[in-house]
Amino acid sequence: MEALHPRIRLFWIAKGAIGAIALGVVLAAVDQWVTDVPTAAIAAVVLLGLGLGIAYAVQLYRVWQYEVQSDALYLERGVLTFVETSVPFVRVQHVDTQFGPIERALGLSSVVVYTAGSRNADVRIPGLTPDRARDLQDTLRKLAVESEADDGV
Amino acid sequence: MNRLHPLSAAAYALQYGFLWLSVASILTLLLGGIFDAIESAWVSLAAPVGLVAGAAYGIAYYYRFEYGITPDTFDVASGVLARRSREIPYERIQNVDVRQGVFQRLLGLAVVSIETAGGGSTEAALNFVSESEATRLQHQIRTRTAEVKDRRRGRGRPDASAADERSPATDEASSDAETERTSAATDPDEPAPDDDGPTAEPDSTDGTTTSDSDPVSDGRDRVAGPDSRGPRREQLFALEARELLLYSFTSFRPAAAAALLGLFFFATDLAIDLLVSAARPFGGPANLGEGSPTSYGILTVVSVVNGVVTAYVLSVVYTFAAYYDFRLGRAGGDFVYERGLLQRYSGSIPVEKVQSVTVTANPLQRLIGYAGLWVETAGYGPESDSGGSQSAVPLADQGRVHRFTETLTGVESPRFRSPPTTALRRYLARYAIVAALVVAAAFAVAQFTPLERWYLAAVVFVAVPPAAYLKYVNLGYYVGEGHLVVRRGFWKRKTTVIPYYRIQTVSTRRTVFQRRLGLASLVVDTASSRSFFWTSPTIYDVDLKDARDVHGTGRKRLQTALRERARADDSGLTIDFT
Repeated sequence: MEALHPRIRLFWIAKGAIGAIALGVVLAAVDQWVTDVPTAAIAAVVLLGLGLGIAYAVQLYRVWQYEVQSDALYLERGVLTFVETSVPFVRVQHVDTQFGPIERALGLSSVVVYTAGSRNADVRIPGLTPDRARDLQDTLRKLAVESEADDGV
Repeated sequence: MNRLHPLSAAAYALQYGFLWLSVASILTLLLGGIFDAIESAWVSLAAPVGLVAGAAYGIAYYYRFEYGITPDTFDVASGVLARRSREIPYERIQNVDVRQGVFQRLLGLAVVSIETAGGGSTEAALNFVSESEATRLQHQIRTRTAEVKDRRRGRGRPDASAADERSPATDEASSDAETERTSAATDPDEPAPDDDGPTAEPDSTDGTTTSDSDPVSDGRDRVAGPDSRGPRREQLFALEARELLLYSFTSFRPAAAAALLGLFFFATDLAIDLLVSAARPFGGPANLGEGSPTSYGILTVVSVVNGVVTAYVLSVVYTFAAYYDFRLGRAGGDFVYERGLLQRYSGSIPVEKVQSVTVTANPLQRLIGYAGLWVETAGYGPESDSGGSQSAVPLADQGRVHRFTETLTGVESPRFRSPPTTALRRYLARYAIVAALVVAAAFAVAQFTPLERWYLAAVVFVAVPPAAYLKYVNLGYYVGEGHLVVRRGFWKRKTTVIPYYRIQTVSTRRTVFQRRLGLASLVVDTASSRSFFWTSPTIYDVDLKDARDVHGTGRKRLQTALRERARADDSGLTIDFT
């Protein structure tokens, strides 16, 4: 099993921080226009949000694992709901590599695997170095092409 | 390339004419209110200009909309200013549906929709073509799909006997297709000369198929009915009057309640008047605004009863009208169905596009020993009313439906396994929390209203054990030789049969609470249509070890089934399932 790049924690922490700050702004707006909210309470909520975000990111990094197995891509992830998913290569429709602005700044990239399913139709592996992402994309593409032409739809 | 029916030019002209008329009028009034230079009185000029321009656009749309049948693809080119041309390969077509509203039936028109997997909406919608053209299209697409399939098989299979047996027929068929394509361009109504050749072919690999002389031929096939001209259509199932009535009275459609609510908001005053006058004989208030708390209470109770009864009646009427004269048949390798009293629906589903099969029954239907059979394909967009699955048998005797399911999929009689009793504990806790929330809500309401004795709401706790038990006993799963069978739900019990070779992904999920009890849920995803209400088949709350076992089994059997299928070239489904 392979773990993600450790820097992905920074990405998740950044996402959590953005959420916490947004919450703080909303509370400040409430304070301004609706009812008094003590500044200390706002700060406490933001700090608590940040703390939870960090804990969540650390724990998520610890459980996130993936592996290219003989017949399928296998992933384990999730803090509150722990999910083990198998994506058989035969079912892979196409594979993307993607990165957003924060990921780009951190030098990370994601691989997204699409199937024709209804739920879990797109499986994302975040926190890969761009080289590893391209490598994984190539591997998956080759395995998908080799396995079968019939996509089951 | 063909055009739509000439009457659709009139329909588009009307549609766009009125659209543009209203847009022009509203814009003039709006701008007139903002700028002094624009007079609101110009509306009398802008409206007719909008109407004429819109009508012209509608007519142009008609002339710029073309569709055609080529040997490999179904083509649609449309758009007045921005053009779009689309080619749909036949082997990717999932469903071909024909819909006829009341007026369209009077005028002999039909709407044809062609669906493929993926994509948010219908891939090709032909508004409108003539009835005979709709039939021809449905039949042509079916024939071409079978041809393409045969050609591919002939190529893909090196073993000589099968290839030799096939190639003459295929060659003949494709040359026929060539000549026919040229003739189709001049005369769209000419029937295909190669009706029975290639369409009958796919069944020859299937040992269980009845010979062509044997099947019950559809005696009731009307002259103008779909497929009267296509390959021989054999009836598989017809909904009898008794079954139709049972189905109408035992099914409850949430859509009916939604429609009633919509009606209420549309005509609120009238509805309230009606409700007040309905409650008056029972002691309701004489007028809204002059009544005692008791009379308001009576009004509420009577109105709720009225609402429920009306919604139920609406649901019965809707179901009756929608499934009136339901018939399922086969034509070649396709299921063909038709139904409807006022609005007629008909469609075809290639049997090899069926992803999974589900038997449904609500408590009432189970009480009288009936059930329905649905097939899921990957074709429908989220806006389809059937939630991505098509009814193969709306309602029939339970034993018959089970027999149908077993013949259709080849699954053996399932011996269901239940989740461990720890799951029952989970549901007890879950519903106890729900009941506590209800009591809390009653308490909150009591703070703001004269309502006393909120603690009487605690009576809901009585319902907790039976609710948990009913949820638990309806859960079950069976790991078969070639299929996974998953049963769940009390209000609408669904038993889904998933062939291993249709599995897309498998996930084992464990929430915080499940981990505490050592349980897990297994989500088996197939390529069914995305829909909000129809969730992926899930085996809920089994022991982690069992969930992982089934997870592994599903994966392994998918690979085995794929290898076997590549050898046998068999979809695993039997079309003559009744």
